[in-house]
Amino acid sequence: MMAKKIYCNIKKCLGCGSCEIACAVEHSKAKELNNAISESPLPIKRRKAEFIEEGVSISAGCQHCDNAACVTACMSGAMYKEAKTGLTQHDRDKCVGCWMCIMSCAFGAITREKQEKQVVKCDLCPDRDKPACVEACPTRALSLGTFKEFKKLCNM
Amino acid sequence: MQYVIIGSSAAGINAVEAIRTKDKDSKITVITDEKNPLYSRCLISYLLAGTIDEKKIWYRKDSFFKTNKANAILGVKAREIDIKKKEILLDNKEKVKFDRLLIATGASPKLENIPGIDKKGVFPLRTIKHTIEIQAMLDKVKNVAVLGGGLIGLRAAYALKNRGKDVSVFVKSGSILSQIVDKDAAGLMQKRIEEKGIKVFTGVAAKEIQGDKSANRIIFDNGSEITGDSRDRPLLVIIGKGVSPNIEIAKDTGIKTNWGILANEHLRTSVEDIFTAGDVAETNDIVLEESSINAIWPAACEQGRIAGLNMAGESETYKGSLAMNSIEFFGLPVISVGITRPKSDKYKEVVKKDAGKNIYKKIVLKDDIIVGVIFVNSIENIGVIGALIKNKADITSIKDIILEDYFDYGKIAALVKKSKEGFREQEFKETIMTLR
Repeated sequence: MMAKKIYCNIKKCLGCGSCEIACAVEHSKAKELNNAISESPLPIKRRKAEFIEEGVSISAGCQHCDNAACVTACMSGAMYKEAKTGLTQHDRDKCVGCWMCIMSCAFGAITREKQEKQVVKCDLCPDRDKPACVEACPTRALSLGTFKEFKKLCNM
Repeated sequence: MQYVIIGSSAAGINAVEAIRTKDKDSKITVITDEKNPLYSRCLISYLLAGTIDEKKIWYRKDSFFKTNKANAILGVKAREIDIKKKEILLDNKEKVKFDRLLIATGASPKLENIPGIDKKGVFPLRTIKHTIEIQAMLDKVKNVAVLGGGLIGLRAAYALKNRGKDVSVFVKSGSILSQIVDKDAAGLMQKRIEEKGIKVFTGVAAKEIQGDKSANRIIFDNGSEITGDSRDRPLLVIIGKGVSPNIEIAKDTGIKTNWGILANEHLRTSVEDIFTAGDVAETNDIVLEESSINAIWPAACEQGRIAGLNMAGESETYKGSLAMNSIEFFGLPVISVGITRPKSDKYKEVVKKDAGKNIYKKIVLKDDIIVGVIFVNSIENIGVIGALIKNKADITSIKDIILEDYFDYGKIAALVKKSKEGFREQEFKETIMTLR
């Protein structure tokens, strides 16, 4: 299944963190920066601008893996593959906060919501046409699409 | 084609789903001695603790068998396999024919040979039935003795403390969780559970469980004892001594067994058309590099899936299993992967501690390859280290930063790019495609 997901063109990524802020704000109650930063608990970002080496960064998040290790490890059935889209989805009603998905994710893309005993990860912003991080990326390093589309975009 | 699966927990369920991705029509029969098998075994201690309600315990909907067009024989034990006739004999004398068979019979709690272990009020914690039986006697109970300081013993202890009981844990070895973490991590966990009122006694073994019909007293090898508080109050005793694989059905059939049922890299047993997966299956351990059983949920699910695909004619390879566990008590989480208590000096350890924050991190190295990791109270990104372990990556270039707070996937991206053997999954390639 060629899922539509978020790709990062490392050549264009500045590691500026705009994606992180946009993600956290989108997943806040207020959905707006000025009020989001005073929420308690603070809204959690699901992407991270990660330093690779001098001048090289990647905006990393859930890869919606085909054989998702988090889904395999999930003992409550909360983490699942959506047949229609190929996305890895998380059902809060089923999650018990056992952290088995965190244990299994090679990309470190799952974060604890400690008080709620839940996890959060990239959900591709279900309320928007284009994910908030993609829209916020000043260099267009981030894009939403299939891998084929991403390759084309990068002339590869 | 007629598929038969014995067992309907993690491995069995995932096998059914995997078969159905390749074969929509052939007959699948699932045989299990449990009446309501679709729950998550790992969640029964959560149910006992009262931290989840019964609704959350179901791993799959009760329409699962129907949706997957599988015929379920529930509450009936599979007794014998006739490998020549390709037939299973059930406890109720019925016979079930198979073309391809999966043995996913799981494991059973080890019950030690302590006098009095058969008394009322002595339970392992393995099935939903145990939980229901324990719950039924909770009103009468004040004191709980947990024998065993492993994962299940401590989960039971935590659950019953949460239900307001006075809980004592008795551990034969010198520390709790000795199969999963090292002494330092165990010390942090023990301190936390003791602060919350669970008593822990190490280096003691039960000699006898006493009581008329119900357990009321345990005598230990050091002369100490625990009682049910008063004469007529029962003592609830939980046995958490680990599990042993249910291999009986394979014995004397020609299917090769050792500790468990031996599986090759396709999860096939030594007998044609018979596969095995889950807690009963003995597979190659990725870091020990020897045959072993890692009786854990993720391994059972993965093995079930791969066995199912191969039963349906695919040729998927199982890379091997890896010990990994995640536990949290009273807000203090610990996750460990692989070898955590190395027993020879060919292994080296790198440790980082922050006592004030209850943070403890350790990696175990063999040459420059990570074979084990423990993280206490700072667990994000441990999966990145898990990927390094699984792919046997040479970590020389990042050795100094692995235990730092800022360590993340970005720090291994260059390794992923360089690696020739490992990181084969498409998703790794996608992330580093644009990395020069």
